[in-house]
Amino acid sequence: MNQISNLFPKNWRNLHFIVLVFFSILLLFGGKNITEPASRFVISSFYYPFFKIKNFMMEMTAVAAENDLLREQLVSASSRIAGLEEEARENERLRNLLGFEPPLGYSLVPAKVISVTFDGALPVSAVINRGSRDTVAVDQPVVNQSGLIGRITEVLGNFSVVQLLTDPANRVAARIAETREMGIVKYKTNEGLVLDNFPVQGTIHEGDLIVSSGLGGVYAAGLTVGTVREIFRPDDAQFCKVMLDPAAKFGSLEELFVLRPDIK
Amino acid sequence: MIRYIPFVLYLLLIAMNEVIWRDFTALYMIAINVPAMLVVLVSIFKSELTAAWFGFLAGMVMSAGNPDGMGWQALLLATIGIAVFHVREKLNLESIYSKVLLMAGAVLLHNLLSILINDLNRILFLTWSYCLPSAIYTSLVAWLFFLFKEKRFTLENIKSVF
Repeated sequence: MNQISNLFPKNWRNLHFIVLVFFSILLLFGGKNITEPASRFVISSFYYPFFKIKNFMMEMTAVAAENDLLREQLVSASSRIAGLEEEARENERLRNLLGFEPPLGYSLVPAKVISVTFDGALPVSAVINRGSRDTVAVDQPVVNQSGLIGRITEVLGNFSVVQLLTDPANRVAARIAETREMGIVKYKTNEGLVLDNFPVQGTIHEGDLIVSSGLGGVYAAGLTVGTVREIFRPDDAQFCKVMLDPAAKFGSLEELFVLRPDIK
Repeated sequence: MIRYIPFVLYLLLIAMNEVIWRDFTALYMIAINVPAMLVVLVSIFKSELTAAWFGFLAGMVMSAGNPDGMGWQALLLATIGIAVFHVREKLNLESIYSKVLLMAGAVLLHNLLSILINDLNRILFLTWSYCLPSAIYTSLVAWLFFLFKEKRFTLENIKSVF
């Protein structure tokens, strides 16, 4: 370049300007035959890498947005699946309840537990979604498919309070299903469910089924209360100490039945 | 050949600005006039011929998406490059403010002439709504560049504020 410029030392600057103006005029008046190839050349050599980068960035943004959308859909689907699983479990429970028959002279009022009140490890009372509008009344027994749960102690229009067997204030007149010998079932805070007032000379074995006797006037006869777990017979006492396993699981109460006496 | 590499990088910078930066750096549709800014910077720091040729190529690169305006932009930026070179020959450009003023004037001239070529009917409206704000915005960026270049604004200065 310098060798060429040395050939035209004085006019070198002017020569540049002439070439520059010539190219400008070519671009201005050369028409599409000149400008379009020039444009294509500039785009392919200068713009192309940045178009690639921009496309990549836009793709990444789109992928991120799609990712967010899919994440939302996943959360929604997961919660829906959890809901369906819960419904499936409820369905299974209700299927089990379907074959449940009430004692003679009673009809079943199905109810759901709305809330429970705890006193220690187990609940002592529960609120159900049936009340006086469903002809629920005080002292009606409450059961589920496993056995006796408790009795109604308070009734409102759409709700009732159930005193559970686990309330130490609750008593159930009971008998051994096999031998028909009687006692009183109650819940002791430190010992659990026990059969009280059972004479030491009575016939009782571990695993015996305990049912309500119907003598108290509240609970219908023949409702399963529990099974004998352990028997203590002190030498110098009139009554033996009988520990029971309750038939119902009081830690997981959901669907219950109120036993409503049939109107004669 | 190596001495041309910076100018190729400047041209790539113009292309990158047109494709990627322009939308990100625009404030209320007012964009930095990067091609004009680079042409003015080259004119301030390099020779007349370099400024003219760089202006010509910068014009071509910036208007590659609009081939009809390619000749006008090439000629316009080459002329601005030569004009800025001659102005800086006659001015004392030791002061940053004089450089920034020159930058503002050149960018405003480029914006005005570009609109004159492309959109004559709306020139009054665009002068106030685009040309002038864009010239000010570009000059502010150039001012920061001059501060960094002359080491009046360094990372140590920024750290000392905190």
